[in-house]
Amino acid sequence: MKLHRTCDGMQRRDLLKAGVLSLGGLTLSNYLQMAHAGQVQSGRADRAIFIELPGGPSHLDTFDMKPDAASEYRGSFNPIATNVPGIQISEHLPKLAAVADKFAILRGVSHTLAAHRLGREYVNTGSKPIPALEYPSYGSVLAKEQPSENDIPSLVAVPKAGQGAGFLGIRYAALETNASPEYGEPFSVRGISLGQGIGIDEVKRRQSLLKKLDRRFAKLEESDQLLEGLDKFGDQAYSMITSARARQAFDISKEPESFSKQFGEESFGQSCMLALRLVESGVRLVSVQLGGWDTHTDNFTKLKENNLPRLDAGLSGLLTGLEQRGLLETTAVFVTGEFGRTPKINSRSAEGGRDHYPRCMFMLMAGGAVRGGQVIGESDENASGPRHEGISPDDVAASFYHNLGIDPTMEYDTSTGRPITLVRDGGIIKELFS
Amino acid sequence: MIITKPSDAELHERGKRFSKGTWQHHVLQRWIEGGAVHDSDNIRELIQLEVQPSEILFHESGETVELTAIARWQDGTSEDVTELCRFSSNNDAIAEIDETGRILSGERGDTHIVVYYDKAVIPVPVVRPLGASVTSNSPQPKHSIDRFVKQKLDKLGIKPSGICTDAEFVRRVSLDITGILPDAHTVREFLADDSPQKREQLINRLLESPGYAAWWATRFSDWTGNSDEQLTNALPIRNVATRLWYEWLRVRLEKNVPYDDIVEGIVAAQNRQPGEDYLTYCEKMTEACKPGNEAVFAERDGLPLYWGRRNFQTSEERAIGFAYSFLGVRIECAQCHKHPFDRWSKNDFENFSKLFTPIRYSANQVNKDAKQDRQELLDALTNGKKLRGGDLRRAVQKGAQQGKTVPFGELVFDSSSAERQRKAKSKGAKTGKIPSGKILGQEEHVLLDTDPRIALMTWLRSKDNPYFAKAIINRVWSNYFGNGIISPTDDMNLANPPVNQPLMDYLADGFIKHDFDLKWLHRNIVTSETYQRSADTNSTNEMDRTNFSHHIPRRLPAEVVYDSIILATGSDSQAEKIRTDIGAMAIAEGKPNRRNQQNFALEVFGQSTRESNCDCDRSDSPSLLQSIYLRNDADIYQRLSDKNGWVAQACSELGVAGPKSQADAREAMALNRAETYRVQFLARVKKFQNLSAERQKKIKPQLQRDYSRVASKMKSLKIDVPKLSAILKDTNSWSETVATTRSDRPVKTVQQLIEDAYLRTLSRFPDAEETEISLAFIEESKTPADGVQSLLWALVNTKEFILTH
Repeated sequence: MKLHRTCDGMQRRDLLKAGVLSLGGLTLSNYLQMAHAGQVQSGRADRAIFIELPGGPSHLDTFDMKPDAASEYRGSFNPIATNVPGIQISEHLPKLAAVADKFAILRGVSHTLAAHRLGREYVNTGSKPIPALEYPSYGSVLAKEQPSENDIPSLVAVPKAGQGAGFLGIRYAALETNASPEYGEPFSVRGISLGQGIGIDEVKRRQSLLKKLDRRFAKLEESDQLLEGLDKFGDQAYSMITSARARQAFDISKEPESFSKQFGEESFGQSCMLALRLVESGVRLVSVQLGGWDTHTDNFTKLKENNLPRLDAGLSGLLTGLEQRGLLETTAVFVTGEFGRTPKINSRSAEGGRDHYPRCMFMLMAGGAVRGGQVIGESDENASGPRHEGISPDDVAASFYHNLGIDPTMEYDTSTGRPITLVRDGGIIKELFS
Repeated sequence: MIITKPSDAELHERGKRFSKGTWQHHVLQRWIEGGAVHDSDNIRELIQLEVQPSEILFHESGETVELTAIARWQDGTSEDVTELCRFSSNNDAIAEIDETGRILSGERGDTHIVVYYDKAVIPVPVVRPLGASVTSNSPQPKHSIDRFVKQKLDKLGIKPSGICTDAEFVRRVSLDITGILPDAHTVREFLADDSPQKREQLINRLLESPGYAAWWATRFSDWTGNSDEQLTNALPIRNVATRLWYEWLRVRLEKNVPYDDIVEGIVAAQNRQPGEDYLTYCEKMTEACKPGNEAVFAERDGLPLYWGRRNFQTSEERAIGFAYSFLGVRIECAQCHKHPFDRWSKNDFENFSKLFTPIRYSANQVNKDAKQDRQELLDALTNGKKLRGGDLRRAVQKGAQQGKTVPFGELVFDSSSAERQRKAKSKGAKTGKIPSGKILGQEEHVLLDTDPRIALMTWLRSKDNPYFAKAIINRVWSNYFGNGIISPTDDMNLANPPVNQPLMDYLADGFIKHDFDLKWLHRNIVTSETYQRSADTNSTNEMDRTNFSHHIPRRLPAEVVYDSIILATGSDSQAEKIRTDIGAMAIAEGKPNRRNQQNFALEVFGQSTRESNCDCDRSDSPSLLQSIYLRNDADIYQRLSDKNGWVAQACSELGVAGPKSQADAREAMALNRAETYRVQFLARVKKFQNLSAERQKKIKPQLQRDYSRVASKMKSLKIDVPKLSAILKDTNSWSETVATTRSDRPVKTVQQLIEDAYLRTLSRFPDAEETEISLAFIEESKTPADGVQSLLWALVNTKEFILTH
């Protein structure tokens, strides 16, 4: 029930608060029509990993380098070749350079929201924030459309979710692990193992007693998303506690060292490995965050020493691991920050930094039907904007949904028949899937 | 650029404003072709923007109304500017508006259409009734709040819900005013009381109870940003700043210090008391930082810590944080461009920020008169050595532990820049201009040669201040209803008007007339029928979630959930102890709120992080992890089976064996070990006693040593051991180590215990069916202890437990 206010979107309250939505069915028909007509290839992925880089990573120092630009733009990093001829990325991403054939780089992605909160809401939903309505995260949509079995959560956020369930209602919100796994240490979500001397029979008896006694709000349950959500969480908690599958899915110590080493010894890499285990166990979408990209000052030191090595090890480990497990074909991977950073280096600190810059940014896509080893879109000579027509976050979101077999133009209906399009303005980027 | 940007040839933040070839395009192009003349001496000032109609009532979906906007200029002229206005809808499901000012009605409900022109932002209320309009033959409510709420509900055709039951009331009002779950005894007594004034009496008791000040000091800590993380280096002694801050607030709320006076202590804070010298200040502060000495700090007039937070150092951060805490305004939107929903320009923001530039606070900064004293204090701590950074901090910390006086930083008003300019001016320099800033919405400059915080405070408490009183009223109101009169509670702006303007105006007037008396505000709200409505709805108000026509269940705040679990599962005596000495409760900041050290349950339930100047730092949303915690966390199991828990007490009252817990098992092992020691040692004593006196004399020291060893082991197991002399006199004086379990006679029936369980969790009696279900369940359980434990588990896991109702 968070309220969101932003400079250019005014206050928006999700409709949980407005209380006017009872969600109707979805229309897959137009999507299917398109698919039958051969206009789009249908997605192959049935699960996803969404990696958010909150703070806004510099595109110029990572996946959209401009070695020929003037020094006040170029920065101190050099590009290196990747395993795909013609594609170059930053020298501080050597492991990703070695697996560049597994992911697609989107350059010249462009939007206009330069505030963190607003930009994050945009790239986490694929729709530009509007008043009175909060869009759901990708995972919440998946949790609604293709829920996992009850003892496995549909949506897991490691450690926290960047975006809620919006107008779909909190029952589609993520299970937040609240903690991140560390290399070589056991990991578990607190409370999901039965280890308190309580037998499963007793848990079942208790659950049935609870069902009988929890009646005070029965009358209001249908009209109140809060009550509905509490019910759903209660049932799901029970399913997870009484099944061993969820517990095992979180237990990264089950992975052999040779496998877990690939992800690096940082927490982010281990989170990527956890994400892999979870989608392997049937979780529909796992979101992982790697923060620290808001490099207004000391941009280069921060990137070189912290962010890039972490991203490099974790993401390359993930793509390699997914392939080794035969999961890359069925797992859609999407990596994005909320914006890029100013091409011109500022003078706020000795070595300079870069500020918020939504006009030009990069995103990465992999897995499912995405063809890796390609660059889509292009930025101008200083990476200060798209060279031609820019790619919008809406387009990328539409493509991500498409990869997952969800029609991005599908509509959710309000109780009064007011339709809300899942991705308002996005078109599927066909090159991604060609 | 000017042309390409709004016509979207270059991406513009607000999207496309007009197309090529339209009149807007031509006007702009001609203006640019004419040299883009900006005649700054000849700007007409907008006096008023009149929008007609000023209020819109729709009956059907699909109706339309055209808005007209007339600008009235300073020179007395007026013109129709409808075409030049920007329009937006606060809820386009209820009313849509196009760019010509035509409104199209949609769903039932109420919202605002907002008209923007020049600096004017005019909200126009739009209503489409939910029910048949109410004829006003229903009696006028006596309570002012009810009257204003009814006026709005009548317009919407909403019939409010009835009044909640006594059981609902005692729970609701206790949790809302004090954050503390009422105990079974209080509930019984309240339900049995037949005085017609009992609700008012309960309200008065609660407002006078320590829980009121404790809980509201936590809420005030949220709004003022009392964050351990941000206060890391504010004091030379660590990990005390938040406790001092909290206690300073708590004491003032307990004494019901007027709200404006509390804020004055923060806004105009001085670190020294009047007339106090630096050394005395440091002595007092060193004293105050000792554990348990928060009261020493609370006695001081000011809370300079507010200015010492890491995220409150630049003048921009201060402008934003100040506006958040005391105005409920998001001024940061004007940091980079004109505020899109208010009249604030970038210039206003900058002028406002400037007010904060001369205020300095850091642990290493002191006033000029104190520099020498500070150095001497430092030298005494470091033995004259030059220490820096961590070494210095450790030396200071160590000194404080040894009881030495430690040098504290000061809040310094730095007028040097103003003085330089003044001097320059007096020497005849023409450029010399004394720096100044401006208070939001005020014309005159505030010169920065005196502390601008005085002017700020005068403005805050003036009765014409449009924000100060409303911001706190709205936050307090929101605590009681889950929704502000303005939502979100920290986003007052012209485009986000109150859902009930007369109600807000009435409360603001009354609050100011009552000298910012917070308890007047609380009492006024909770004595209203509006607050005491039932959650059960009727056909006219079930859709309403904003106009206070019924109670809307909401999840209890994190701290309240945390404490409620402890109180509901603890034994009567344990719970009573906690309620009497509330300092350790989460609602009283009894649990540390530090990054990486946060209590798991408090974090999971959304305790405020107090870091980003946003009321949304606190979350009242439920989550899967919360459900998992309540159902299956080790915390919960431990509390249910604790030997000081209510289940154990209930079993003893039933005269049956209590629950088995891990704690019991550990204790049993300890007892076993102790018993082994005892038996072994007594065997030695007996052997000793059989020896000759001569031998005894020789061996005695050895026995003495053995005794000491055993006694110290026993001490660690918390078992008393008689003196050696007593044991030697009579080996029976050291009796068998046994657990002190008694097999009591039953003093209660299972049915009575079920009642107790309901009262201590849900604050009501079980109905006949619930009693029957519970009875049957306990009977079918392996042991009564298992049954009672499961019942308590189930009650804590009901929605009724975690929600207000």
